[in-house]
Amino acid sequence: MVAIEDIRSRAKELLEGGMVRAVLGFRRSSAGLLAEPTFVVASEDVASLVWDATCVHNLALYLVNEKKRQKAERTPDTRPLAIIAKGCDSRAINVLLQENHVAREEVVILGVSCEGGGVVDTRKLADALRGKEAASAVCDDTGKVKVATASGEVTFPAADVLADRCLECTIAYPSVSDTMFGEKVDERGFTARFAAVKSIAAMSEQERSAFWDGHFERCIRCYACRAVCPMCYCDECVVDSTSFIVSPMTTAEEKANRIRWIQRSTTPADNAMYHMVRAMHLAGRCIDCAECERVCPVNIPLRLLNTSLEQEALEMFEYTPGMDPAQPSLISSFRDDDPNDFIR
Amino acid sequence: MTRRAGVFVCHCGTNIAATVDVKNVVSELARDDGVVFSKDYVYMCSDPGQQSVIDAIKENRLDSVVISCCSPNLHEKTFREASSVGGLNPFQCEIANIREQCAWVHKDRAKATEKAIKITRSAVRRSLRDESLTPIGVPVTRKVMVVGGGIAGIQCSLDLANAGFDVVLVEKKATIGGHMLQLSETFPTLDCSQCILSPKMVEVSKHPKITLMVQSEVKSVSGFVGNFKAKVHTKAQYVDPEKCKICDDCAVVCPVVATNEYDEGLTGRRAIHIPFAQAIPASYTLDEDACLGLNPVVCGKCKKACEAGAIDYDKKPTTTEIDVGAIVVATGFDLYGKDKLGEYGHGRYPDVLDGLQFERLCSASGPTGGHVLRPSDQKEPKNVVFIQCSGSRDPENHCAYCSKICCMYTAKHATLYKHHVPDGNAYVFYIDIRSGGKGYEEFVQRSMERDSVMYLRGRVSKVYESKGKLKVMGVDTISGRNIEIDADMVVLAQAMVPSKGTAEIAKTLKIGRDKDGFLAEAHPKLRPVESVTGGIFLTGAAQSPKDIPETVCQASAAAAKVIQLLSKPELEHNPAIARVRESHCTGCEMCVDACPFEAITLVNGKAHVNEVLCEGCGTCSGTCVRAAIDVKNVTQLQVFEMISACMGG
Repeated sequence: MVAIEDIRSRAKELLEGGMVRAVLGFRRSSAGLLAEPTFVVASEDVASLVWDATCVHNLALYLVNEKKRQKAERTPDTRPLAIIAKGCDSRAINVLLQENHVAREEVVILGVSCEGGGVVDTRKLADALRGKEAASAVCDDTGKVKVATASGEVTFPAADVLADRCLECTIAYPSVSDTMFGEKVDERGFTARFAAVKSIAAMSEQERSAFWDGHFERCIRCYACRAVCPMCYCDECVVDSTSFIVSPMTTAEEKANRIRWIQRSTTPADNAMYHMVRAMHLAGRCIDCAECERVCPVNIPLRLLNTSLEQEALEMFEYTPGMDPAQPSLISSFRDDDPNDFIR
Repeated sequence: MTRRAGVFVCHCGTNIAATVDVKNVVSELARDDGVVFSKDYVYMCSDPGQQSVIDAIKENRLDSVVISCCSPNLHEKTFREASSVGGLNPFQCEIANIREQCAWVHKDRAKATEKAIKITRSAVRRSLRDESLTPIGVPVTRKVMVVGGGIAGIQCSLDLANAGFDVVLVEKKATIGGHMLQLSETFPTLDCSQCILSPKMVEVSKHPKITLMVQSEVKSVSGFVGNFKAKVHTKAQYVDPEKCKICDDCAVVCPVVATNEYDEGLTGRRAIHIPFAQAIPASYTLDEDACLGLNPVVCGKCKKACEAGAIDYDKKPTTTEIDVGAIVVATGFDLYGKDKLGEYGHGRYPDVLDGLQFERLCSASGPTGGHVLRPSDQKEPKNVVFIQCSGSRDPENHCAYCSKICCMYTAKHATLYKHHVPDGNAYVFYIDIRSGGKGYEEFVQRSMERDSVMYLRGRVSKVYESKGKLKVMGVDTISGRNIEIDADMVVLAQAMVPSKGTAEIAKTLKIGRDKDGFLAEAHPKLRPVESVTGGIFLTGAAQSPKDIPETVCQASAAAAKVIQLLSKPELEHNPAIARVRESHCTGCEMCVDACPFEAITLVNGKAHVNEVLCEGCGTCSGTCVRAAIDVKNVTQLQVFEMISACMGG
């Protein structure tokens, strides 16, 4: 079991020694069950750090945001940033390192293994509690989740309340870290990997098409999925003409010649195109933190799109994103024995 | 600024016009924005056709030209040159392929016409955004590397050297000569192989323009046509060829016996040995794998015995960097693996031989001094069965292709056998006889008629040993009977496969291979000695199975191609290359990894394209998720416009 005290004392050391400019972690939220991201700057504040099954956010996003913020600062603090990272978060950091977006020396990774647990899915939890409000949620050693409510503690099997990606996760420990908390656990025995996406793949083509049409027609193109994704760090998004940068250097010809692959209106076709392009651009980069799906205000099961490509990458090319920052990326590399049956 | 495009639609006789309503394409395109001129003609590539393009450019002040015709592989060059004569930048002339990609693959005239209009329209949209480009001038290194020292490599090196170019000939083994050096006589004239080859080998060794590197392999190649940088790894040369007097004193004292690979395993040799009496370089060579340890404490007998002081155990392997302008690959063939022909007992029974082993038995320099004797008991075989197509022409189990030379060398083997053992019986199992070639058919007929070789049309199912004889179970499909022969020796005409190192050299040089593993030529008919990579040429059996005359012919052809390339003072490089939009590049290095030509590097955190290395293939553009890299004249905007045109937008 991971003891939060260990994480706090390491955070304190780092802050007191001035080795990092802040520790990026989780604290209790002022609203709702889920812990919220926090930048701890003062060593006396480390007591606010928490670690339990409500720490769902992928904090790697803030590495990207911080980089943008720092760029704008006149005298940025160039000390590294410490970050608390679950297995999936650490893989996201690895992809950012792989793509040279973040340098290894810019970050101190406090890797935390989820061991036999994971993070809760608030929708599943609300269902399980039947109207009761959860005050806290903690995974224990036996694959159970203890939830505190106003009327006492309730215990659920992990499968009932943990997020799908945690149930399918086979790499629940950090793939990169400076300090690791908890044990490396490979065998978790919840659900088979890619179970969710396989159930969709089992549908007939017509069923599947209708399934996705039904979801895409709801999309309001708020781009929350893009905003929460640590891999969507392009300044300019090729499928969103509102993001096109106009600077004093941009010529009228450049403006006129901008390609609008997708219209801004939320027609089902343009919505589908947006999500497809995003999925393709995340192929070999998405590390399955499922944040896109969590933040979607209209409940589109976006994780399925990305895990489908993740499954292809694994099954056809033995590629798992975020395991090694030195490996060439999926789409830029090939082996002589890559399968090529699909080329005619 | 509005551009003025001209559209020229070719009938290609009836090749296009039979399926596509050419007049309709012209009238539709005439209505498009930016198109100020359009016409059709029966053969656009003919002189009057080209002239009409030139005239139209001048008369209508065209600044883009689209020719709707056959594949750009065929006539892009023609029309770009014509455009240039008309005063247009050649890179503003585009080809719309409405023949191979439309007329030839469709039957419905109305739909094919609609598609031809879309293809042409998309090319017009692209051409309206084509930039004027200037070819990039690249200097040339007037030096050639030939990889492989068989007859192909030897012939090519000599032709190049005699034309005045410096040649580096790289050979993996200790001597040049390749498989031809192992052969006894050559068909159809039965002249001695070594006698016709050794003068060429000597010429190589004496030629001032040829640098010979034996026991060497190409480890890596970077650069591009006209300017390659090759790293060649050479094994330690323990015997100095300059000092070696070929006296044999060292081999006499050497205590180690190893299998003699030059005799195809039929004899042994010492760890220190000379591969052939005619070896070039003329020197003994030390097999470090077989040697007891290159250490005077362990053995050191040869060093002590060498009066010339040619042996030095402290020699180290070296790596040499060579700058060359062109590379010729002549890595040759191997015989199809004997382990794969279990039904014929090859490798199991000592008297089942492959073609090269039989060559050694017939050769005066071979293990038996030119007498055909059974390896098992050194007796003269009285019944010899030759099995053609062992591993060839058998798509289910072995190689699908015909190895081309086996019919002829089997006829030669049978003839030679009959010359050595006139009272013996030679049987040949064949599927059919392929004897196309000058004097070839007559040679086969002679073997049947004059030398009484028994030809049996059919295949052999099995060879097994019984009572000291090799039982050959076969069928004669002409008489329709099963045949069983008690043979003293069986010779397999095994399939030719690309030599062991071919896959590796193809990878090192980034050239393709075909489905059978032979090196792939750029065009099967019109560019048979060029690889798809500029400046790298192919020759010999590494490209496809072929006999000596064909190999020599192709070697000279490759030399001619190299001479043509290196005779220019400067090469022109295609300017339609990748361009980085620095504002969008995040330096993720995906394009750097993806580029097959290693043309992209990261400079100050942004991708940077080496304009000479870049071939404009567009892999980078396809890889970049940030649309930060584009190929000139195939920009994303142009692709977008082309798609829009096809979608009716």
